[in-house]
Amino acid sequence: MTASALCPPAAEVNYITSEPIDLAGLLAASHHPEAGAVVLFSGDVRDNNLGRNVSYLEYEAQEAMASKLILEILEEAKQKWKLNIAIAQHRIGKVGVSEAAVVVITATPHRREAYEANRHIIDRIKHEVPIWKCEYFADGTRLWGGNCNCHEITGNPNKHIYESENQ
Amino acid sequence: MKIQVYAILKDYFEKEFTLPQSFNNINELKSFLIDKNPKAEKALNISRFAVDNEFVENDHILKSNDSISIMPPSSGG
Repeated sequence: MTASALCPPAAEVNYITSEPIDLAGLLAASHHPEAGAVVLFSGDVRDNNLGRNVSYLEYEAQEAMASKLILEILEEAKQKWKLNIAIAQHRIGKVGVSEAAVVVITATPHRREAYEANRHIIDRIKHEVPIWKCEYFADGTRLWGGNCNCHEITGNPNKHIYESENQ
Repeated sequence: MKIQVYAILKDYFEKEFTLPQSFNNINELKSFLIDKNPKAEKALNISRFAVDNEFVENDHILKSNDSISIMPPSSGG
């Protein structure tokens, strides 16, 4: 069976959206008769970072490349972990505290693969996908931040090191 | 050559601009942009470049009608 036959619903999700992420709706669409485990990761906006109060974040994407890369990441993960469902969506524009900026959902027969694949997918999204956050602080200042800094170790902005592979 | 920059690079350059001259490769384009705005050097040196929406390395050969995206390290999630 091919990966696409395993995962029909994922193709209908917009990988990049300027609308609030519908966590409940996406989760409801992520049940599969062969899957005994569904893992949902929601990357939420915190009200603080490095000791400073955060008012909100603003995300920007190179949308064409971001969508294509998320699709590739999901397809690779589907093959590797034999996922029944793999969904990811990242929000752009202004995102308020406690709102979801990114969601990853994985469904598999057993939980181990669902957790592993989910973590791998969010790692790759954070490191590789051309999306950026700008933090707006309570004191009125802003900072483009939280960058992937793998280049300091690998010497190449195109080469990354993944947390989930270094434990 | 059409250039689009993202995130912090927008603090140093217009979001989108056209360069009439052509460059042999990404390294030459990068040097030109650093000369144009030396404050952008650090950000440019750690950025990824894409030609027509495909990531390329710094020695990638450019054509005069290429559309180039310059992208700082990702900070999504």
